[in-house]
Amino acid sequence: MVTRTRSAGFHVTGLALAVLFLLPLLWTLYSSLNGPEAANGKQGFGVANYRRLIGYGNGLPTYLLNTALVAVIAVTVTVVTTTLAGYAMARLPFRGRNLLFIVTLAILMVPYTTILVPLYILLGWIGLQNSLVGLALVLAVLQMPFGLFMMRNSFTALPVELEEAALIDGCTVGGALRRVLLRGVLPGIVTVALFSFLAAWNEFVAPLIFLTDGSRFTLPLALFDLQSGSLGSVDYGALQAGVVTSALPCVAVFLVLQRYYVRGFTSGALKG
Amino acid sequence: MISLSSPTRSPAPASPAPTARRAPISRGRRRLGILYVAPMTLLVAVLFVIPLGLMVWMSFNHWPLLGASAPNGVTDYQALRDPLFIRAVWFTLKYTAVTTVVLGLIAFGLALLMHQDRRRIGTYRTVLFLPSAVGLASTSLLFYGLFNADGSPLNNLVRAIGLGHVDWLGSTGNALGSTVLMITWRFAGFYMLILMTGLQSIDPALYEAARIDGANRWQTMWRVTLPLLRPTIALTMVLSVTGSLLAFDQFFILTGGRHYTATVVIDIYREAFLSQDLGRAAAVSVATLVVLVIVNVVQMRLIRREGR
Amino acid sequence: MSSHTRSITRLGRTAVAVLAGALALSACQSVSPSASTGSTDSVDDGTTITMWTRSSTSTFSQTLVDAYNASHKNKVKLTVFPADSYQQKVGTAAGARQLPDVLASDVVYAPNYAAKGGVFLDITDRVNQLPFKAALAPSHMKAATHDGRIFAVPHDLDLSALFYNKVLFTRAGLDPNKPPTTLAEVAADAKKISALGGGVGGYFFGGACPGCQLFTSWPMIWASGGTVLNAQGTASTIDNPTAAKVYGLLRQMYDDGSVPVSAKNESGPTWGQAFADGRIGIEPMGATALQGLKEGPGLQVGVAPIPGLTGGTSSFVGGDVLGIGADSKHVAEAWNFISWTLSEQAQVQVVAKSKNVTVRSDLIDNTYAKQDPRLGVFNRLPGIGQTPISVNFGQTFNDPDGPWTEAVIDAVFGKGDVETILQQHNSSITQSLSTSG
Repeated sequence: MVTRTRSAGFHVTGLALAVLFLLPLLWTLYSSLNGPEAANGKQGFGVANYRRLIGYGNGLPTYLLNTALVAVIAVTVTVVTTTLAGYAMARLPFRGRNLLFIVTLAILMVPYTTILVPLYILLGWIGLQNSLVGLALVLAVLQMPFGLFMMRNSFTALPVELEEAALIDGCTVGGALRRVLLRGVLPGIVTVALFSFLAAWNEFVAPLIFLTDGSRFTLPLALFDLQSGSLGSVDYGALQAGVVTSALPCVAVFLVLQRYYVRGFTSGALKG
Repeated sequence: MISLSSPTRSPAPASPAPTARRAPISRGRRRLGILYVAPMTLLVAVLFVIPLGLMVWMSFNHWPLLGASAPNGVTDYQALRDPLFIRAVWFTLKYTAVTTVVLGLIAFGLALLMHQDRRRIGTYRTVLFLPSAVGLASTSLLFYGLFNADGSPLNNLVRAIGLGHVDWLGSTGNALGSTVLMITWRFAGFYMLILMTGLQSIDPALYEAARIDGANRWQTMWRVTLPLLRPTIALTMVLSVTGSLLAFDQFFILTGGRHYTATVVIDIYREAFLSQDLGRAAAVSVATLVVLVIVNVVQMRLIRREGR
Repeated sequence: MSSHTRSITRLGRTAVAVLAGALALSACQSVSPSASTGSTDSVDDGTTITMWTRSSTSTFSQTLVDAYNASHKNKVKLTVFPADSYQQKVGTAAGARQLPDVLASDVVYAPNYAAKGGVFLDITDRVNQLPFKAALAPSHMKAATHDGRIFAVPHDLDLSALFYNKVLFTRAGLDPNKPPTTLAEVAADAKKISALGGGVGGYFFGGACPGCQLFTSWPMIWASGGTVLNAQGTASTIDNPTAAKVYGLLRQMYDDGSVPVSAKNESGPTWGQAFADGRIGIEPMGATALQGLKEGPGLQVGVAPIPGLTGGTSSFVGGDVLGIGADSKHVAEAWNFISWTLSEQAQVQVVAKSKNVTVRSDLIDNTYAKQDPRLGVFNRLPGIGQTPISVNFGQTFNDPDGPWTEAVIDAVFGKGDVETILQQHNSSITQSLSTSG
């Protein structure tokens, strides 16, 4: 009896908390689809907010494409470089290995917002100011400490025998890495990719400083402009539609891959 | 669903990977190692090490956004005596203290609640964590709509329960409170998850022993849970303190720094692109960096000591 | 190692080739503008040129751009940025050499951009060739000139004036043809109008919008005989009793409910919305707002000069100047557009027709101005108004995080003596004005 009451109590509390945490998201989703702004002046549901959002500024498709491009480059660069480096760190001793490891981890210690100004100058020197590629590379570097840590641990955890067997079968080191090991560290790769995607998709400060051309803006920047009322008034309906559009991919990716997210936590390499 | 039910492996130590294999390491492998780390090394060098050095160099130069730069000693560091900067520092510290305490307590409560073996607990965890998947800028824009639009569900609700018009962002105190509320919503699940990993790694036998010794729930909490959780708590503190000291998105979007809510990073942005003085911005950045590295090192030391 | 080195060499060679190509390209492009320096003849061959402006006056710019695009082969692509972050945007773009071909700038930032260089191209020779140069709005020309060199020309005159809703005046028993002539009358009328209830406010201002506040309240101070800045624009003089009375009056109007509570957090983007919806009796706004107001049974717009405490009139002669981006590759085309905006065709058939004030004093008596008495009111304002000139204007007054923002918020919404509050903030404003950036 007692346990059942306690169980009921728990579920009531849990349910209340769940509602509280879902409420802002659901509110926004609801008001982006309901009301006079959404339904062309009538009551009820409609997609007018999304229509206006699609036509805003350089057009929603442009912003989505830019954001996706940045995210894809950042994820690819992070995954490729840290997988290679993680393997080298775990299996291929070379001089300066510890130094490189420490320097990379130091990225975590240095708050990146403070180096944005010199980065801005530097990107100018190498011709990558106001460039989505430049932005993506910076975002990739910010994910490298976590990626390297994750990948090194993933490779270390694999039994050395696996690699040896492949080598005996006549594979080169590169071949062994490709055929046998990658499959073993795939969960690690997914984790790194997931963290890197969420960070790149949502980044605000770096594009705010690096991008000046409206046609290269990422979604968060475009939404910020929308909020600041670029056209004389603030279109809250379109803003809410924009927030939903920008949050949806992250929520979806997270729901599908959440066990990899948890892996990232338990691996002990973290950055808020 | 987030299960976390399998016993958590303790974090791998940050020591170099074992080089136990005595087999002669061929030169080729060593070369291959260098080749494999080359792409990452190049990027880290160009986009991290060089900017870091450049930042220090810039802080000793008169470096306007437009035009030529020239060394000017420590003049740029006068930016640290600017009343706007000093005010930003105080506000940032206040925000950090409030956020860390509020967020820490709520996340800890959630972790205790959700760290139980129950049916459908995974769903609850997922829901609580969901806000963390939404970007901070999107979160700020979302709450901006909720706070500012007169007909927003939040304002309707507040009116319906008889509170009338709430000025969410109209003064330092209100803006701070509203922002902390928003940040708690966004990050509580995230910190809950970290604390849960800590709780999971506590040996159940210890609870059992405490129970046999006749300890009540509070005693168990004070004597067993908290001491063993200290490294994890310290880790969440590091993350929360560092994150709050560098707050930018939330205040930039919600208040634009109005009502004395400019943070240190907003001040850096202001010096750089509004006053168009990159040198002074670099000087503030260097100072912030030094403080944060000290904070991090001290806190990491604490973690390591407690961890033993 | 050898394969590694080889790939680097190859990379290096590619880079050199790309670099050389880029140099050759930029060399070619720099020839054409210098060859045609000073010419205002048409370079109309279907080039697309880019233009930036801030949100506050974007409707005006868009009207001109649309008219130009409709009558020319060249196309101007206008990008609008939030007014709050326009300075940062221009700053970062200038630092990155990514400025647009045509750059509009709030007239108050123009002295800074002219003095610093790297933002606007020197267009002295081109401007000197304009036959109507002497007729261009003098306040804007002064702001855009540094050491005798001209960097921009007037784009729009945004003159602050009292806008009032005649419908609400009638409903409140006031004479719709007798706008208030003192601030005391403004407050009294506003109180009567707000007594109508039903979501109607008597008066409105952008309480959290530093630019809106100075644009509308400084003329009240000027009209009352007070000052806000010294002549060089290097020190604040807002700590005078006249200014204190003006902000005291605004505070009183807010406290007695003549001003809707939403005014306190109005940061600019929607500061004209309630008036446009017919829910506000009196609001000082810029002349360019007239174009966007849709009159109907709930809104009939009257305009009057902004009065002082006991009489007098003044105006903030604001607006934008237009120049060529310092790194533009389409200088001739950009000048083709800019000089067209100043032509009689554009100033009368586009600007005046859409109920705006022409920037050329020789075109003031155009047909549209004669038809609409409100344009007549606006046209008198440049003569009685002021444009404050200060190099550090933007970071001091327009930045939401700057010293002016907190000063005006404290003065209007704070507690305690207004004059004391202004005195407390005066030194930090002066400090920000006098630091050399």
